[in-house]
Amino acid sequence: MGKLRTEEFIVNMGPHHPSTHGVCRLMLTMDGERVVNVEPYIGYLHRAIEKICENRTYPQCIPLMDRFEYVTAMSCDYAFSLAVEKLAQIEVPERAEYLRVIMLELNRIASHLLFYATTAMDIGAVTPFLYGFRERELIIDLFEMTCGQRLTYNYIRIGGVSRDILPEFVPKCREALNIIKGKLSDYQGLLNENPIWKARTKGIGVMSQELAVAYGVSGPNLRATGIKFDLRKDDPYSIYDHFDFDIPIGQNGDVFDRYLLRLREIEQAIKIIEQALDGIPEGEYKTKIPFRFKPPAGEVYSRIENSRGEMGLYILSDGSTKPVRVKARGSSYNHLQVLPEVAKDCLIADLVATFASFDIIMPEVDR
Amino acid sequence: MGVLKDLKELMRGLGIAGKHLGRHAVTIQYPEERWTVPERSRGVVVLLSDKETGELNCTACMLCMRACPTAAIFIDAPRDENKRKHLKEFRVEHSICCYCGLCEEACNFSAIKLATKYEFSTFKKEDTLWDMNKLQEVGRDVPYVDTRKKKPVKKPVEPKPTPPSVEATKDAKTQPDAPAIDKEKPDTKNDVDSPAAPPEAEEKRDNDKNEGKG
Amino acid sequence: MTPFILLELQPVFVWLYNLLKKIGLSGSWLTIVSYAGLSLIVFGLLSVVALFLVWWERKVSGHVQQRYGPMRNGWHGWYQTLMDGVKLLLKEDVKVVTRDKAVFFWAPIIAFVAAFVPYVVIPFGKGLIVADLNIGILYILAVTTFMVISLLMAGWGSHNKYALLGGMRSAAQVVSYEVPMVASILTVIVFSGSLSMVDIVNVQSGLFFNWFIFRLPFGPIAFMVYITAATAEANRTPFDIPEAEQELVAGYNVEYSGMKFAMFFLAEFINMFTVGAIATTLFLGGWHGVILPSWLWFFVKTLLVVFLLMLFRWTYPRLRVDQLMGFAWKFLIPVAFANLVLAGWMKYARWYW
Repeated sequence: MGKLRTEEFIVNMGPHHPSTHGVCRLMLTMDGERVVNVEPYIGYLHRAIEKICENRTYPQCIPLMDRFEYVTAMSCDYAFSLAVEKLAQIEVPERAEYLRVIMLELNRIASHLLFYATTAMDIGAVTPFLYGFRERELIIDLFEMTCGQRLTYNYIRIGGVSRDILPEFVPKCREALNIIKGKLSDYQGLLNENPIWKARTKGIGVMSQELAVAYGVSGPNLRATGIKFDLRKDDPYSIYDHFDFDIPIGQNGDVFDRYLLRLREIEQAIKIIEQALDGIPEGEYKTKIPFRFKPPAGEVYSRIENSRGEMGLYILSDGSTKPVRVKARGSSYNHLQVLPEVAKDCLIADLVATFASFDIIMPEVDR
Repeated sequence: MGVLKDLKELMRGLGIAGKHLGRHAVTIQYPEERWTVPERSRGVVVLLSDKETGELNCTACMLCMRACPTAAIFIDAPRDENKRKHLKEFRVEHSICCYCGLCEEACNFSAIKLATKYEFSTFKKEDTLWDMNKLQEVGRDVPYVDTRKKKPVKKPVEPKPTPPSVEATKDAKTQPDAPAIDKEKPDTKNDVDSPAAPPEAEEKRDNDKNEGKG
Repeated sequence: MTPFILLELQPVFVWLYNLLKKIGLSGSWLTIVSYAGLSLIVFGLLSVVALFLVWWERKVSGHVQQRYGPMRNGWHGWYQTLMDGVKLLLKEDVKVVTRDKAVFFWAPIIAFVAAFVPYVVIPFGKGLIVADLNIGILYILAVTTFMVISLLMAGWGSHNKYALLGGMRSAAQVVSYEVPMVASILTVIVFSGSLSMVDIVNVQSGLFFNWFIFRLPFGPIAFMVYITAATAEANRTPFDIPEAEQELVAGYNVEYSGMKFAMFFLAEFINMFTVGAIATTLFLGGWHGVILPSWLWFFVKTLLVVFLLMLFRWTYPRLRVDQLMGFAWKFLIPVAFANLVLAGWMKYARWYW
């Protein structure tokens, strides 16, 4: 009698997902319960943002870049503005820089809260989803008070910010930060030491340092493997060198480390914002740029530390009002590529947990 | 013992979930209760009218149409026989508009604004295209800060010799609006303190009006 | 005190029985009619309880998440479940292309019926029990196994390999968790000396320290083992792999729609109530309590246990399938059996009160 023949079968985890990461199709090749191979199919959310930017003037590109990665729209606005300011050598007033840092860090907190909410829901605990969004509402209300929108802000412009903050922004911001600080202990008490959570997340989806560096993984996914690399400290932009904050790192590179690391980053972001709120200088909130803004011809690549990783913008300009080529580099593209390596020989439940912990946002992958 | 510690953590989780039971809900019952929207909130595009006369503030300078990244605004302002522009059609396609606010920032005449109103769903796709009347009607009770320069009171027209400088600017005016646009800075619109428009543009327009009547 | 004692329901049923005798029924007719009547009353009561539990789950989940639950249909949404039932009735009954149409058809019915059958021996109050079988708890354990059959039938009849996998998984889960459940129940039976539910409740009479949950050290351990095992029996989080939406392999009821799905759904809630009722009878002193009438105490205690089950669902994440099975076989069963041995030894050495 020969050996019992088993066959691998293919399961399609279609673009319609209960797990909310955008539209991504995963073709899983499975041997029984184990996943042998994961093949992601992308492109369901491709909106040709880079091509559209070639036909829009520089100020008109900013609402488009909002939609490049709508969970952290401030970072996208900022990445574009930084690139153009580098190209055209525009000085940004200090008050504008402080406001920008405050908005960027608030957006980082909001994005990590979203990560907490969706990851907990994917692993089965539904209540943290509501708790995370409840706190996110506080931050989004601050944004709405300042610039008028809740998701795609169009706030950080070339040369500064679009509007000054209202006087009640600072006390409201402090209040919101105090509430979030208090709730963080709730979140961690609910999940951190929970034996079920630890059984589902410790030792799952381990990414080694070599693998992370080979695939260009950045952000909290990289720091969870133990490599201390953060663009805010290693390649500082804006006025991050004025502030005192730590870079938390993990040890094992598993799901639990990635989750805990992002919660620690929320604490550090709160620290930065409090320092910034204490020291906002008076002054202009933007540099006036001409209506038909024409940067000098040339190319520039600027990168910032998004809440997901390194977000880069490459702009090629020929001196006219419209860019010739805009290329946006999103970190989720690399993270999705490393998923098949990390998710070898795991069960589907582990695959869902790993996918959730990478904090992949599909608009960044597809643009 | 590990088991006792695990049990303690499980109980703690239950405690955290349980203590929320006594708390007030954070949600509101829409549509009976509504959230007060911040005043800078960006809702639908409306056209603003003068507070006394009720006429549209818009002068058909086309700045908002150029600023819109999605080409949601369409303005038709033909020149009549006196070579003056008057606003014939102003359409905003709200299903294309991305509510970015660039048109509001571009306008120098407090003519277009993103009001805080938001409940405008329609049953037919055609109803999202708003024409001038609808834009003006929805914008009638929208509060705004009028940043135009006060128009001078109309004096009785006396024939006066046209100085050479006005001739030069009048020639400049017959060309398309490019030179006029360059001098205007749209992104200072929302500052109450900064001047709305450079004085030259206003003066040119006043001269233009006088020219038409003269 | 006096007006509350008047609210005891046993005299009402005695009066009804005498009424039937006066009408002229006698002998076997009397037995049949009285039992049929009691069963109908219990069935009606449980249907109302199931609807109430669905509403209550949504309210509890809402308030744990700091939002309201249903608010539109009636005051705080009290008839939301009825409206959901109407909606499910109006849904299309998807006909699955399958060879075994009978299997597909009968699975939800068996699940629904198997959910109601244990209530024949559950004491709702003093003297309020449909039939005081002397094998009470054994009957319940035997009958709750019908649920496994309905799961397998649902998985097989759906003609869908993922539903089959889901059904097999849930069947394995239910069968594995029956062992610690039985072991913890046996602990109680060792002390009560009888399988009859009425006797078990009577052993816990007197002060509330007599309740089995307070009889240290085996009482609390048996209670916790029972609650854990029964949560797994009822397919509730953290053991709800068969029903989880985030998991790829959907559960056994993926092909069911409309009223058939409603039957599975209601059967699950009635199972939850059964878990609470058995926990109350065995561990929490049944219907014993001061001041309030006995049936009210029964409902309060049962609903408390059900509330605990609901809190579990909205607090804990889900266990993976292999972790679930490992937990049952490697942890719960040894603990339950060790507890049983301890209880037996204590009873033999008369080290109890």
